[in-house]
Amino acid sequence: MFRVIVKRELLHNLYSLRFLISLALVIVVFAAGAISFVRVTAASLEKYRQTQGQFLETMRGFTEKSATELAVRKQTYSLKPRANAFISDAKEKYLPNAVVFSAWNVFSFENKSGTSNPFLQRYDELSWAFIAALIVSFIALLFTFDAVSGEKESKTLALSLANPVSRGTLLSGKLASAVLSVMAIVGTGVLVSLIVVLVLGPGGLSPALAGEVLGFLAAAALLAATFATFGLLASVIAPNSNVSLLLALGFWLAFAVIIPNSSTFVAKRLFPIESSETIQKNVVAAFDDLSKNAPPGSWAMNSGNPFLPQHELRANLQRKRLQAEKDIHDAYYQAMFRQFERTRLVTALSPVSTFEYLTEAVAGGGYLRFRKAWDDMHVYQGQLLNFFKTLDATDQDSPHWYNPNENVSTTRKPVAFEKVPQFEESPLTLADRLGPALKYLIINIFTATAVFFLTFILFVRYDVR
Amino acid sequence: MIATLVRKDFLTNLVSPRFAIGFVLCLVLIPFSILINISGFQDRSTQYRLDRDAAEKAAAEVRVYSRLRPEVVLPPEPLSVFGKGVSGQVGNRVQIWLGDKPLLAAGKTEAGDNPFLASFFSVDFVDIAAIVLSLLALIFSYDAFTREKEDGTLKLQMANSLSRSTALAGKLLGIFATLLPILVFSFALSAVLVLLARDVVFSALEWGRIALLFAASVVYLAVFVFIGVLVSARSKSSVTSLVVCLFLWVLLVFIVPVVAANFAESFTGIASRDNLDRVLKDIDKERDEEIRRAQASAGIPERWNCWWCSSDEDGVMEIYGSARPDFENFRRTAMIAEPIRVAYADKKWPTQKAYLDSLFRQARAAESLSLVSPTGVFRAIASAICRTDLASHARRMDGTRRYREGFVRWLQGRDAFGSFSWITPTDPKTFKTEDELVEKRTGGEFKTAAEYDAWASGQKDFRARWSKLSAIKLHGDSPDDFPFLDISDMPRYRDQAGALFSGLESSVLKTGLLVVATVFLFALGYVAFIRFDVR
Repeated sequence: MFRVIVKRELLHNLYSLRFLISLALVIVVFAAGAISFVRVTAASLEKYRQTQGQFLETMRGFTEKSATELAVRKQTYSLKPRANAFISDAKEKYLPNAVVFSAWNVFSFENKSGTSNPFLQRYDELSWAFIAALIVSFIALLFTFDAVSGEKESKTLALSLANPVSRGTLLSGKLASAVLSVMAIVGTGVLVSLIVVLVLGPGGLSPALAGEVLGFLAAAALLAATFATFGLLASVIAPNSNVSLLLALGFWLAFAVIIPNSSTFVAKRLFPIESSETIQKNVVAAFDDLSKNAPPGSWAMNSGNPFLPQHELRANLQRKRLQAEKDIHDAYYQAMFRQFERTRLVTALSPVSTFEYLTEAVAGGGYLRFRKAWDDMHVYQGQLLNFFKTLDATDQDSPHWYNPNENVSTTRKPVAFEKVPQFEESPLTLADRLGPALKYLIINIFTATAVFFLTFILFVRYDVR
Repeated sequence: MIATLVRKDFLTNLVSPRFAIGFVLCLVLIPFSILINISGFQDRSTQYRLDRDAAEKAAAEVRVYSRLRPEVVLPPEPLSVFGKGVSGQVGNRVQIWLGDKPLLAAGKTEAGDNPFLASFFSVDFVDIAAIVLSLLALIFSYDAFTREKEDGTLKLQMANSLSRSTALAGKLLGIFATLLPILVFSFALSAVLVLLARDVVFSALEWGRIALLFAASVVYLAVFVFIGVLVSARSKSSVTSLVVCLFLWVLLVFIVPVVAANFAESFTGIASRDNLDRVLKDIDKERDEEIRRAQASAGIPERWNCWWCSSDEDGVMEIYGSARPDFENFRRTAMIAEPIRVAYADKKWPTQKAYLDSLFRQARAAESLSLVSPTGVFRAIASAICRTDLASHARRMDGTRRYREGFVRWLQGRDAFGSFSWITPTDPKTFKTEDELVEKRTGGEFKTAAEYDAWASGQKDFRARWSKLSAIKLHGDSPDDFPFLDISDMPRYRDQAGALFSGLESSVLKTGLLVVATVFLFALGYVAFIRFDVR
């Protein structure tokens, strides 16, 4: 019986005007997004190659001077444009995408200016995730808002229920057929986009990409199911299909427009963090404190002789300063991460937001990618420091007084560039992606189930005549 | 007759659930957007006051002209409470350098202290109005004729001695009579919230601009009403009309602006920032080389002594307690170097301008492409009205560049580059020779500098050498002996207030576009209704 209902509803949807218009719209937008992606990626990859070349050239310059020069100079590592950004760009353009480090510390992160145009109003990339978030949610509502109220008006609902069919089956049949119709549309769009990207773009089809596409489709199905249940809810609550349409549009505005766009407000009001000026003041205070307590002569400078006793005092002071600054800054970064993650958790009220976070995890990009690169950078920095210390230990002409800021009291011999460990950004593993996504998945499934249950109860009590 | 029609439609709409729901939608969304933006504006105002005070303090606490680098802090725009435009993403601080013209503003953006928040988007009154007004306009007009046809009242109505024009006019006026109160109410509510808010002060000029925004909203509303009426007159049933209208809504309001921005980005590239920085660095090297050559040809030695000196980028140089010839060397260095530095700022500008222009071109391309949708036109007009569009920002940045010219002229007018006060507050009359300085500082132990040098070269510990020289502290040996510079006549940056219609020249054309679209849609709707089968 369930299959009969699904088949009937599905055919009903397929022949409808809304299906045709959605299909046309989705195909056009997916194709436009794919073309735009291919063009932008070519340009940004070229820019990245230049930046990366410059980075390696600078590092080579340091190694030619001395190993200490390599260790103490700050360098900026930029993240590569992601090849699968057409699935979800995860707002990477606006997130930090470069890390400043030396062998002694991972200092800070920044959004390399030049990756985005500050004069261009901020906008979403036409990635699958954006199109789906906007259109899937909308058409899922459009397919369901009159599922009950509309059939009641056309008097077919009473006839359907005159057959030996339970109300639960009818409702789930409508839900399943709506999800299937939406997925047929999205699937077509995804296919079109994939063809454009694979034909015109640089990358090829790989098992990883196939997995990501499936993951995306699963997330989209969940989004469709969630909004279809909201549509059914609107359909069951309202006395006629006009009102249920307005209710459905209200749900859509709240979830797709209002909640995601109030994030900055939520972050600043509910989870405030200290201002950067305060942090800077704290660092200066800590520095003053250290300078005051440092033994006299700590600041004396004379770089001619590495073994000058003052160099040891200064090296100790500089290490303490570095540690003090690092402690303050790292705590501040943790506060930023917390603020960002908590804000996301609040906005997870909206299935559109959870969809965005889920697709970010599926594509392994955005904030998750940055956090992994940030953590991996700390590991790399440890390796670089060990490399330097081992090198320094073999140098007889070095007093081994580690100074993180100056090239004085450690080895002054050059080092072969090829031997220097290089940072290699590793892609996110399945566990890296699933872990953070799980809470959003649970919230989303819980919301969908709760709303469906509510709809079911209301439908059971619904007067179908 | 027409009054009866309008009254009937107005009352039908008024009692319908869509009026109630539309009203509630406005009641919730409009205050929400205004409150969020008032809160954002308050944050920016607080930050502005902090930045401004810091900049003023920094400018007031200098002792020599060479250290004077005023910072312009642009005040937040009160109208940004209604439409943020690009104001949240461009920064508000401009440091004035001698060797560079202001290029981009620095300072905190809307994300504030946490750069990750930049990945969250936000909406303002203009966005919400663009979304909700268009939706309401379509919701009230999609079934203008189809519903009455389905109910069978349309043919009854047309059976009276009633021309189709009158029927159409009555229908349209009925819709406007329903929608205008909602619009007026939304603006009134926002005005009340603005009046109640702390920190947000609107002058008569700002209220005038809000009136312009209201006028633009009415035209925008009309466009969508006519779209709805046209679709309704061409549709067989209300359901078809509704589906078409909703898809048009999503397309015009949400998809077209994003596609426009994406296409602008992919088809008009911007110059590389890294590249610009490299070119500028090369020009700087060239400049430093020219300065060095000019100094060599003027016979200024490359190295000299100083007692207390501090130097910084952009030619900052502050000297205390040196001997007369050293002071003289520093003065001549600056006299040669600073005009070259200023001249090179002009030389760098074409390169910087080319970069800036490429950014502007891309942003303008995005705006032009988005004009395909009435929403794009409305947003462009609204941000111009709220003085938060790109052109307004460009005007302000031009203002800071003019200010820099004025500042440099002021320095030149007091002959600052060539005077001792460029590098030291010490009165030239009190300059001493090196021998006098050594004698006074060592309390008479050494009579001449040569005598001291002979002694010092035999000493191993350099701290002992210094302790002899600092036996007696002379007045003028450290900055603390001098008051701050009097800069009361230094030019200050003024933000131009502008007139009611200033900066709206390009909006006139866009409004014209919107009006033409309205008339065109109306004409189409009229023809479609005349041919409409009312049975």
